[in-house]
Amino acid sequence: MRFPDHGLFLALLVLAALPLHALAGAEQVRADIANRVRGQYPTLSPAELASGSAAFDPARQAQAERNNPVPGAAEAIEAGRRIWTRKFAKGRSLAGCFPNGGRRIAGAYPQYDGRVKRVVTLETAINQCLKTHGQPLLDAGDPGTMGVVLAYLRSLSEGQKIAVRVSSPQAEDRFEEGRRFYFTRMGQQNYACASCHVHHAGKYFGDTAIPAPVGAAAQWPYLRDGRPVTLQMRVRECLDRMGAAPFPAGSDELAHLEYFLAYLSNGIAIRPNAWRPRQDAGNL
Amino acid sequence: MPSPVRLLAAAAAMAAAAAWGQSADGRDLFTRPDKGNCIACHQVPEGSGPAVRADVGPRLDAARLKGWDRKRLRGILDDPTLANPDSVMPPYGRHHLLEAREIERVIDFLHALP
Repeated sequence: MRFPDHGLFLALLVLAALPLHALAGAEQVRADIANRVRGQYPTLSPAELASGSAAFDPARQAQAERNNPVPGAAEAIEAGRRIWTRKFAKGRSLAGCFPNGGRRIAGAYPQYDGRVKRVVTLETAINQCLKTHGQPLLDAGDPGTMGVVLAYLRSLSEGQKIAVRVSSPQAEDRFEEGRRFYFTRMGQQNYACASCHVHHAGKYFGDTAIPAPVGAAAQWPYLRDGRPVTLQMRVRECLDRMGAAPFPAGSDELAHLEYFLAYLSNGIAIRPNAWRPRQDAGNL
Repeated sequence: MPSPVRLLAAAAAMAAAAAWGQSADGRDLFTRPDKGNCIACHQVPEGSGPAVRADVGPRLDAARLKGWDRKRLRGILDDPTLANPDSVMPPYGRHHLLEAREIERVIDFLHALP
């Protein structure tokens, strides 16, 4: 039998070739990935998955408990508080740029800002404030400045549930950019982020259990040897290990990826400044 | 024009590099993070490499590799996605992570596993 309409046939072929998530939007993508992880690890709650490798590795979990209170966390938070409250000329400060001095705002970030047509991360918002007041910007890849500021700022949202919104076609486009980044193979090793974190979550790479994508945005900045490591800094480390030239911290590419990851963590409580082990051949 | 001393130093450096390359055996290439780093995904029998909990890929031993001749292993190490597009194993040859002679040494190592 001949197919009656070649155009329709072609359209059906194209639709069949598209991944489901390309048509379904952010919420469907989130649900698909959450269901996949739940199917693999039905006894682990999203809040438990947020602890990364420790969710799958009792020895790592015990190590984390031995490192509580987290070494260096109080110092990092205090260093961040000093930068956050430092007065600019005319008496303004970073704290003055955010509602309620920045308390309980982190759960809503990143967010798509239709006025500037960009995904705004906490790093972006901090630098927007500094720019507005004629101050030098912070390097989003620097643990000693942006890292400590975020250690403090996110500590003000401890326990707040992540509630990132993707609520317009433009926001969906940025989410899709982040999803595509996550699922695209790149670098000399030919890995995608998803190669490990979706397809092999909970398996051991070297001596480290691979964290699941669900919950990945809940506990940053991590404290490693007392130094805050933001989600973007951590992603850059992974890209480097993949043999890919990392996008700059603060770039739109990393902002879109963070938007995607944060949306996957919706509903999970923020627990920033969590302990993570020193990186070496065994701990990745 | 380079001085004779510089030329001599360069030649010595090249000779040292070549000697080092020859001394890197299959086990080194299998385990080194800057080379194959195969140990990050595959366990090997006790005594054949570091004890790790790695389980992204299957444990490699003589039983597992039975029937894997040099040609088949060379193909997998060169580009595993040709046989399995979803493979997460790096394309060691295609992406120049290992040179052809290094791939041969990894194959020697795999064939010697108990």
